[in-house]
Amino acid sequence: MENTKINKVSYNQVLLLIVLYRIMVGLTYMPAVNTTPANQDVWIATLLSIFYTILFNLPIIYLSNKFNKLNLLEITEKIMGKFLGKIIGVIYFITFLFSNIIFVGTLVEILNTALFPVTPTWFTTLIIMLTCAYISSRGLRNIGRLGEIIVPIVIFTIFLIIILGYKNYNIKELLPVFSDSTFGQINLGAINTSMKFFDILVLVMITPNLENKKDLNRIFVKSIVYSILIVVGCIIPTQMTVGIELAKHMNFPFLTFTRMIQIGEIQGFDLLYMICWIMGNTTKISGYLYFTTITLGEIANKKNQIFIIPISIIMFVLVTILKDSRSILGVPQPANTVISVVSITSIIVIPSVMLIVYFFRKKRLN
Amino acid sequence: MKKIIFLNILLILILFLTGCWDSKELNKLGISLIMGYDVENGKVLLTVGFINPASTQEGDMEGNLSVKYAQGTGNTILEAFRDITLKFDRRVFASHNKVIIFGEDFAKQGLVGHIDELMRDREQRETSYILIAKGAKAYDIMGVNPGLEQIPANYVLELIKNTNSNPKAMSVNFIEYIKHYYHNGHHPMTGIVEKREKEIINKSPDIGPTSEYELSIIGSAVFDRDKLVGYLNGNDTKALNFFLDKIKGGVITFHTPVSESSSDELSSVYIIKNKTKNDIEILDGRIILKTKVKLTSSMGEVIGNIDISKEENIKKMEEACSKAIEEALEAAVKKVQKEYKLDIFGFGIVFHRKYPSQWKNIESNWDEIFSEAEFQIEVDTNIIRTGLINTPINRIKVE
Repeated sequence: MENTKINKVSYNQVLLLIVLYRIMVGLTYMPAVNTTPANQDVWIATLLSIFYTILFNLPIIYLSNKFNKLNLLEITEKIMGKFLGKIIGVIYFITFLFSNIIFVGTLVEILNTALFPVTPTWFTTLIIMLTCAYISSRGLRNIGRLGEIIVPIVIFTIFLIIILGYKNYNIKELLPVFSDSTFGQINLGAINTSMKFFDILVLVMITPNLENKKDLNRIFVKSIVYSILIVVGCIIPTQMTVGIELAKHMNFPFLTFTRMIQIGEIQGFDLLYMICWIMGNTTKISGYLYFTTITLGEIANKKNQIFIIPISIIMFVLVTILKDSRSILGVPQPANTVISVVSITSIIVIPSVMLIVYFFRKKRLN
Repeated sequence: MKKIIFLNILLILILFLTGCWDSKELNKLGISLIMGYDVENGKVLLTVGFINPASTQEGDMEGNLSVKYAQGTGNTILEAFRDITLKFDRRVFASHNKVIIFGEDFAKQGLVGHIDELMRDREQRETSYILIAKGAKAYDIMGVNPGLEQIPANYVLELIKNTNSNPKAMSVNFIEYIKHYYHNGHHPMTGIVEKREKEIINKSPDIGPTSEYELSIIGSAVFDRDKLVGYLNGNDTKALNFFLDKIKGGVITFHTPVSESSSDELSSVYIIKNKTKNDIEILDGRIILKTKVKLTSSMGEVIGNIDISKEENIKKMEEACSKAIEEALEAAVKKVQKEYKLDIFGFGIVFHRKYPSQWKNIESNWDEIFSEAEFQIEVDTNIIRTGLINTPINRIKVE
């Protein structure tokens, strides 16, 4: 358990963190281009996912509003009772741990692919975990402050890269619109994207630390809208530059987009992207590491601080083993299936069940 | 105390920043600017042109060349790359590579099936230009440098850049090629490079031997998906660039519209700006491919007895220019329809965008439909400048 008073975070800090967490996925491997309808209409499906994301996350956000002084695990225990609450707590701990392993694994993969192909996986993972463990140990308030510095830099860099790449744009790559895909396919793609909004869990964990708890709904809606707009803002230029079919072949489409930028004789704008991408991912992994330890702290009734180093070591070992055995992005299965199952369970199924139980036990709980 | 320990740790960590496993020392790298791929005896033959860092003005006097070449063979491109490591003392560093030349034989067997490595390897640049060595091996082309550039690769690169002022050649980079390969309804095209004998103008004996060859990138290569099937000449390539809306400059030459004189007199305009719009219409089941060209130009030279300071004569010149472009475009289309039966102009993409539901039915035999389709070409020329003079210098101006 942690002291929520000294870890108060502001509206801006939380909004920036959630937006950053969400856009890092798009910036890294742009899963939307391979999601149904997987043609030139993918950006429409991504845009439409705003609606579905809000819809699917309503149960969890409703509960968070009702119990805004409690974090996700405390809500679970309150509604489901101590025993079931602990079991669900373990599920959320595994969710955080699993997501973070995927994030670190992805970071290691892109670093080893694009920058350090000869550097051993263990070394890259070690550097990342050392940095993130240190940031996590400084607490939520400092993670929030770090976000306030990093996120504007990341967003500005993306914006700059998008402007610099304008010469390569061919708007016809977006055409024909709505012709090669049905309304159903676009909706299916939007639903698929919306079901992987892991970051809602972070928001619900942060709620008791919010300076003003009434900001929760504003943060929820704005973070979804802003992050999706930024992701679409990355998908469209990438699509206009390399075309949808080529983008689907790429492990890191936005990286390739940045590699295409050339102004006169000047190239190498991919380094700008890499810098902001490393900063963003470090902030994201630190945040997720922090919340992984918070969930474990809740389960064990102990301070989260003592778990930071053990969890970091576990992550270091697991990521090293995972990354030395297979590619996460190049061979997305079975990781994709596991991500889908974990996200649907933790974001939609469990909160929906909790909401139903809450309505049955409403009087007693109030 | 804690802060001091922390600072000390940071200082120690700085030692690790000097380099690690992936450190690359400049004196260990062979920086390539040009690569050539050929197929010989069923194997890939890779030729790489490296910059020679030892080459200076003084070095040249000692016989050092600015570029050195290495070759490697293998069953695949990657194997050929690794073969070089046992013959050349530096590691191939491809991040600065500007030009990739494919030998004709390599291109005929299909590019995409063999060049996966060029997309997968992080060191390769997607912005490298692709050229096909017309009627030759890539390595035949690579050492030729009759230009002023010290490095042959830069000579080729400058030729490619000059397509901005002469659209008789094509500049296609690697990613553009792959992108078009994926487009149904648009076969990819690339530029070509050809070694030609040239006259030795400077015959002074103390100058020593001068180049006997020059490179020409006039023309373009036609692909059926990824297999080289033929070439277009310079004029047809210029027409192709009009269709693809890739005209950035150049010259249009046309018959001077003077009634009393012979039609041998030619005038030219500089292209200032061009915009081409391709469209498709289906009339009574017939597919009509439509192209509208809007050219803004400046008078470059006027040969013939015509006073272009008069509005009606400028109009005549504009019409003559439009007619010349129309004829050139029509000739190119007819040639491609007849000889290659491949849509290299991208009309299939236009069809897909305009008639997406019908496209699904005809997609598989689009090339056949294209080769029999009717064409309508409309050119509108606007001459907005006449240069430093108005009437031609061979004409006495009378008020």
